[in-house]
Amino acid sequence: MKGEKLRNLSFFLSPMIIMVGLFYLIPLIFTIYISFTKMRNWNIERYLTEVVGLYNYQRLFHMFQHDPLMRTVLLTTVVFVGITLIINVFGGLLLALGTFFVNESSASTIRLLWLLPRMSPIAVYSLVWYYFFHGSDIGTLNSILMKLGVLSQPIPWGQIVPWGAWSVIIFVNGLVGVSFGMIVFTSALNQIPKELVIAARVDGASAWQISRRILIPMMKWHFLYVLTWQFLSLLTTYPHLFLLVQWDLVSRDYGTTLALYVYNTAFGRGEQDQGLAAAAAVLLSIIGILGGFVTLKVLQFEKMIHEPRGDIE
Amino acid sequence: MKDVETRPKKGEWIIVLTILFASLPLILGFALLIISSFSRDMVTDLSLDSFRPTIENWINVFQGRLAITGGIRQNILKITLNTLVVALGVSGIVTLISTLAGYSLSRMKFRGRKLMMLLLLMLHAFPGVALIVGVYLLYRLTFPQEPSFVRLYSFFYVILARAALEIPMSVWLMKGFFDTIPWEFEWSGIIDGASRIRVWRQIMLPLIKPGILAVALFGFLAGWQDLIYVRTFLIDQTLATFIEANIEAEYSHMPLIAAAGTLYLLPTIMFFLTAQQLLLQGYSGGIKG
Amino acid sequence: MKGKVGVLLAMVVLFGVIASGCIGSQETSETKTTSAELTGDFVKDVLAIGKALESNGVNEVKFSAWGSGDPNSVMRVYGIVEAARRINKVWEENGVNVKITITDTHYVASFQDAYQEYLSKQPLGQAGDFFVNSYAFLPTLADEGYILDITEYANAYKNVIDDFYSSLIEASKFKGKLYGLPQDTEARPLYIRKDVAAKIGFNLEGIEEKVKNGEFTWGDVSYWAKKAKESGVEWGLIHRKGSAHPDLIQFIFAFGGKLYDEDSGKLVVDVPAIYKWLYVEWKFVQDGLLPKDIMSWDWAKQIHPAIVEGRTLFDIGGTWYWTEWQTKEYYGKEGTPRPLKPEEVQAWFAYTLFPAGEKGLKPVTLSQPFIWMINSKAGQQNPKYDELEDLYHKLAFLMVIKASDPDINAIHSVISAHLPVRKEAAKLISDEKWLNDLKNLNLDLDPQVKTNIKDIVATTVHPINAKFLADVSYMLEYTKLAPAHPKYPALADIFKEAVDKVLRGEMTPEEGVNYIIQKVNADPELAQNVEIVGEIPKDWKFP
Repeated sequence: MKGEKLRNLSFFLSPMIIMVGLFYLIPLIFTIYISFTKMRNWNIERYLTEVVGLYNYQRLFHMFQHDPLMRTVLLTTVVFVGITLIINVFGGLLLALGTFFVNESSASTIRLLWLLPRMSPIAVYSLVWYYFFHGSDIGTLNSILMKLGVLSQPIPWGQIVPWGAWSVIIFVNGLVGVSFGMIVFTSALNQIPKELVIAARVDGASAWQISRRILIPMMKWHFLYVLTWQFLSLLTTYPHLFLLVQWDLVSRDYGTTLALYVYNTAFGRGEQDQGLAAAAAVLLSIIGILGGFVTLKVLQFEKMIHEPRGDIE
Repeated sequence: MKDVETRPKKGEWIIVLTILFASLPLILGFALLIISSFSRDMVTDLSLDSFRPTIENWINVFQGRLAITGGIRQNILKITLNTLVVALGVSGIVTLISTLAGYSLSRMKFRGRKLMMLLLLMLHAFPGVALIVGVYLLYRLTFPQEPSFVRLYSFFYVILARAALEIPMSVWLMKGFFDTIPWEFEWSGIIDGASRIRVWRQIMLPLIKPGILAVALFGFLAGWQDLIYVRTFLIDQTLATFIEANIEAEYSHMPLIAAAGTLYLLPTIMFFLTAQQLLLQGYSGGIKG
Repeated sequence: MKGKVGVLLAMVVLFGVIASGCIGSQETSETKTTSAELTGDFVKDVLAIGKALESNGVNEVKFSAWGSGDPNSVMRVYGIVEAARRINKVWEENGVNVKITITDTHYVASFQDAYQEYLSKQPLGQAGDFFVNSYAFLPTLADEGYILDITEYANAYKNVIDDFYSSLIEASKFKGKLYGLPQDTEARPLYIRKDVAAKIGFNLEGIEEKVKNGEFTWGDVSYWAKKAKESGVEWGLIHRKGSAHPDLIQFIFAFGGKLYDEDSGKLVVDVPAIYKWLYVEWKFVQDGLLPKDIMSWDWAKQIHPAIVEGRTLFDIGGTWYWTEWQTKEYYGKEGTPRPLKPEEVQAWFAYTLFPAGEKGLKPVTLSQPFIWMINSKAGQQNPKYDELEDLYHKLAFLMVIKASDPDINAIHSVISAHLPVRKEAAKLISDEKWLNDLKNLNLDLDPQVKTNIKDIVATTVHPINAKFLADVSYMLEYTKLAPAHPKYPALADIFKEAVDKVLRGEMTPEEGVNYIIQKVNADPELAQNVEIVGEIPKDWKFP
């Protein structure tokens, strides 16, 4: 019996464990190792064995102390993650609830529309916002506001620091994240027995009452799930920021989060410095792990994981 | 499938209008992009002057060129095919692995289960960028020496590496889908003497179809739109790197890029339109049937 | 135990002897050659390599070419395609059964992206065998061993090398070794709108000379820009944006500053010159002559239209603008945007060097030569690479030599408005008959190359354009190069940030200079490579 269970478990779990080992565990060890080497320009033959101890970390902390950009990067990361997280979770919830109460065809259209940011190729998506928030009168937002007479002069949205730049990056990333919440909440709503909703409806409950009393309590797990997941992924996201900064749509200083900083150090410069990037990445990982750990504890995620009650030993 | 019979019509319009208003920037942004792909100039301000209709952009894109004069001609069909291979590969791997793992995490009692699930959640905290330095090193160390295998290996590797990024999320999602299936189905199978693997394949898989489809969709989209992994590991171009390579603010003819971008969006939209119907049939439909 | 080891050892030795015997006998029977000497006689060398390859059973050599830049600069990869055809022809005519195939022509708009791609793919053996990119990246690539040292090979081809402008050959070197051959270069003229100048009584007669001898300086630019503004022209000056190769560092040179110290091998932050640069830009913005958000202007929608529609008197641009204006629809004054005609460009624009900062100093221009570099793993996708490496590398070198043929270089110059890198090519550009042949594509070129450059040729090959190139060639005598130092891109980024902040009015010029110094010192590795010299001048006035 025991042997069979082991065989079953390995059948079901080993592909995942192998993948995790290959693409998370080993690369993580590699990254930590690289942060102690002089690795740069991907020259593995030359630098892989050139261990420089804490040099990269010293350099990084020196920059934290003396480079105003690095302090800005940290601040931007905190603001960006915090606000975008709130927008993502509640926006996703509102969208899912909203589409739940309207007829099927409108709901599909709206869902599809809000999935666009998530489905769009990053380059195309960035292009859309590049023209939308452009700081001159060719920008869509500026030209609309000027036509409406709200503005007399175009506003360089992304260049007003800090809040202009932050608003743009939060908006652009918020739209991508909202759809994640929407998908998860919608699938959760679809699993709620329809009898409950119909019964409440018969009793004369409004959409708002149904949401608050029935739907939202039943989605508690999904709510926490979206919250934690989005927190961790926002902390590490950068592809949607990369081109906006590159194209000078948003201020370089206030558009760069720690994750983007890591990427630019490892890939985006004339001299690519993987050692320094790895050191910053290790810091980011530590922040992420601690943050993830705290979130799990605060939200008591563990308690939500039930033993599979019906399993036959 | 919803509470059709009892829903009041009045409130519905308010909700639709509110959401549509909130979606306005989104609609506008994408609409202007698509309109621009049929114009000689980018249409960014709402004035109609800059809209000068043409299908030249599309002709150029299908000829594989992203400049009005000059530039290099590329095989756009092959590039699209490469993108498709990566997307389908990622989708397939993600679906397979998460359907397997999701089942055991949902249904089987074993030591370390809780830890494994928490660990999966934490995995997402490791930044993709941090990993990519390490993932690159692994790529380097496992690289075939025989040059003719290199291209193939790069496809193989990029699919695996990109799929790995999606695995924690999709395993959790899949576990959630399995969680909602009543135990009675499983018991009936096990009592009949079937092994867990057979129960999984013959009873659970048909029940979990909507979940599989959802995960497959996520996987497909992830592979389809990926830029970073593709440009780091893949030798051949995909649509993402093709557009990326041709966007340079100083020279690019933006309407052409808009056309290429719209082309890049098309299959995604079509794929999703058809699949969404399946998704929305919902879980309840599956279990009753 | 001992016995076993002994047996094992004996077996290994025996095996070694047999194996080496096999290899040895094979070599003698088929007389394989795995290397060739370069003599400097192109045909002879090509034949020697071809025969050597043939004797090793290699009948097809695959190469890939990577280029980058504006869409008109495609000869950066087609030059290689054409070189392959020319070498194939030599082999064919002499009965050598070997053929070069260019498997992949990879062309990226942004040269920085192309460089980054090369940097990450070269170690994987996935980068192009030929790589055209800015000389600025050559030191890093050479230092990491990612590109081939061709010093030895080039010795045999001294006659070809000597025909290149020597400053460009210098730019292709790192620590005294040659790592590539120049592909193109350019100058960055100051364009002056003739129509605007006429309106404000600005006499352009002999302006080139006045700039050349330092009589017309930035003080005068400011004076006339103000006049233009007063007369109702929208701007006095428009310039380029971006950090990759900021044209604006011309100011540093124009104010007599420097960016690199030959003796210490360090980059230099020349405080007085940088202060004056930032001050001039700041003053232009304060006077409303230069848009304060120019660094985030859109190229196609704002920068170029402002220039071609005459909404500015001055523009700091590049030689390639000349044909770019003729191929892109920037001119929208008459409703539907359209490209300019060559006659219009000629009638509307005067061009001079970048004027001296102050009286007594010299005018300058800035070039960024592009270099043909060879992958240090060139030929890797071919059979028996380990054995025949030497042949493949030498063949790759000969391809670059061929791709530098005067006509190939001249075609590139004419169609992309870059400046030729060798004297023979410069001669061709002034040759009317040759130009006419190019116009009709009546040249001996690969059909693939012909089809691909056909439309560019149709719009750009024009006597006016050729004359422009000939006219600006003298600027190369005044040209400065940004230092090809691995840390320079980082410094350039800081410059760009500082200029942007000063333009936007977020910082005074003085604060801008201090910002640069602070940023340099914030990164210990950068600080080690940069010297900060001089102080902010106390009572300096502009204009």
